[in-house]
Amino acid sequence: MDRQPLRPLLVTALVLALVVPILVAGGFGVRASVRSSLHVAEEIRSARATATLLLRYQLDEETGMRGFAVTRDAAFLAPYESARAAFTQQARDLRAVLSALGLRAGVAATDDATATNARWDGAIARPTIATSPRSHAAALALQRHGKALVDRVRADVARVQSEVRARESVIDAETEGAIDRINLIILGSVLAVGAIGLGLGVQQTRLARRLVEHRRRALELHGAYEAEKRVADTLKDAFVQKPLPALPAVSFSATYTPAAEEAKVGGDWYDVVELDARRVLVVVGDVAGHGLDAAVAMVRARQELVAAAVGDPDPAALLVRGNVELLRQRARMVTAVCALADARAFRFTYATAGHPPPVLVEPGRAPRLLECGGMPLGLLPNASYAGHVVQSVPGAMLVLYTDGAVEHSHDVVAGERILLDAVAQAARSRAPDAAAAIRDGIFAGRTAGDDVAILTVAFAPAPSPQRATSVSAARAGDALG
Amino acid sequence: MTAQNGAVSSQSSLDVIRLTGELDIGRRDEIKRALEPKRSTGPILVDLSEVTYADSTVIAGLVRLRNDAEEQGRRLALLIGDARLARLLQYAGLAGAFAVYDDRATALTYLSGVSS
Repeated sequence: MDRQPLRPLLVTALVLALVVPILVAGGFGVRASVRSSLHVAEEIRSARATATLLLRYQLDEETGMRGFAVTRDAAFLAPYESARAAFTQQARDLRAVLSALGLRAGVAATDDATATNARWDGAIARPTIATSPRSHAAALALQRHGKALVDRVRADVARVQSEVRARESVIDAETEGAIDRINLIILGSVLAVGAIGLGLGVQQTRLARRLVEHRRRALELHGAYEAEKRVADTLKDAFVQKPLPALPAVSFSATYTPAAEEAKVGGDWYDVVELDARRVLVVVGDVAGHGLDAAVAMVRARQELVAAAVGDPDPAALLVRGNVELLRQRARMVTAVCALADARAFRFTYATAGHPPPVLVEPGRAPRLLECGGMPLGLLPNASYAGHVVQSVPGAMLVLYTDGAVEHSHDVVAGERILLDAVAQAARSRAPDAAAAIRDGIFAGRTAGDDVAILTVAFAPAPSPQRATSVSAARAGDALG
Repeated sequence: MTAQNGAVSSQSSLDVIRLTGELDIGRRDEIKRALEPKRSTGPILVDLSEVTYADSTVIAGLVRLRNDAEEQGRRLALLIGDARLARLLQYAGLAGAFAVYDDRATALTYLSGVSS
């Protein structure tokens, strides 16, 4: 399909490469042959004229000599002598022309005519002139006797003429052929130009058709792209617009970065559920796959987990119920991490289902990956999930994320190290938006190949000694006031 | 009962499923075909010793394969050679759900052994 439109061009090029040289060579050939034909025709014309002249001079000689024989008047001798000289001269010229034309029989006939003419001069004319005026009868007898020689000259010239005529008809045929070839060349040129025109026309038509096809496909793709992009934008908007709760005891930060390729955007999410002023449930999850289907499955999974949290917020129990519900709906496979942050006891309780582990960073300590392990949701009916309890401290921050944060290079060991470094850096710099700082630390300006969601939940830091004094003093003052 | 199971596994040929490289969504069809349960009765060795990455769809495929094998009473062992893949399987807690080995000989011993 892709190579087809090249064919007319190829044909055109072949026509140009093959036909044009043939036409040019043919043209030159015809030109040369016509030239030589014209030259030969010229020679032939002059040969015919000369042969005719020879007959006339022969007749003049004969007439002159007969007149002299009858009248003995010397006035007849002058025409004879001039005709005789002219005959010799013209015969020489004719011989040259015939020889140039290659008419060997003509050359021989001319030689014979010349010799016979000379013999007539020697045997008839000169004796006639030399006879005495009285022997009139003898002179006439000589004339009669010369008749045979004169006839022989005429026959010679006739032979020359017939050979020249034969040659002329050959030349005529050649000229006809040349004209035919000229016609052929003209026809060939017209056909070649037509073929080239046709080739270019077909080529142009195909290109035009291909252009139309490309435009149509581009429009289709654009339509599909627009549809995917709308889904992506809706998902992204849903995250951006989702306000995180503002609690005095627990702070949050979150970021969602859709995949660089819009079509890969899909199933990552995070949720924050306030249970009371000091307890929140956070969930980060990822639906397998991308696109609209994954987005729909994601919304369903979120609903299931949040609804389950209302009954019993224990993360492990939540995952068990979520798993059963997703299996019942024959939904897609989902990985998730649920964590319950209790700011009263500074305790995190969490459970994971096929999901990378949370990172815990406590003041003055390096961040660490917590334990993990649990079947993804929606795979096994009897899957069980372990609840992990981490007793922590004020100022501690738990980082939940989706696999895009550690699997960006398909090297999860390196990915975890990079994540821990990014968390450490964000904690050190006390970035107000910790999630964004961690994301920037991981990707450092690069775009993520997959969706990445990061959610942090942190206990309020313990008041520093000085501040604690001033705050309690102020409160005391308020109370007093 | 135990003897009978052992007899079955020793008579049946070993089913080896071997995948290499990075297993992600781009190779979905190939992976799906590879992990489809065969119509044999022997034990199954899933050789992932040269796999460095597997996305969650592969995890799901492995779990389904394990379920089918369990229903058919066939033993299944996972052969893992790369720490990165081992870590990914840890996310899903597969170490607890599968017989995971890092050397082939031990895996084969497990697969051909009389069930405990």
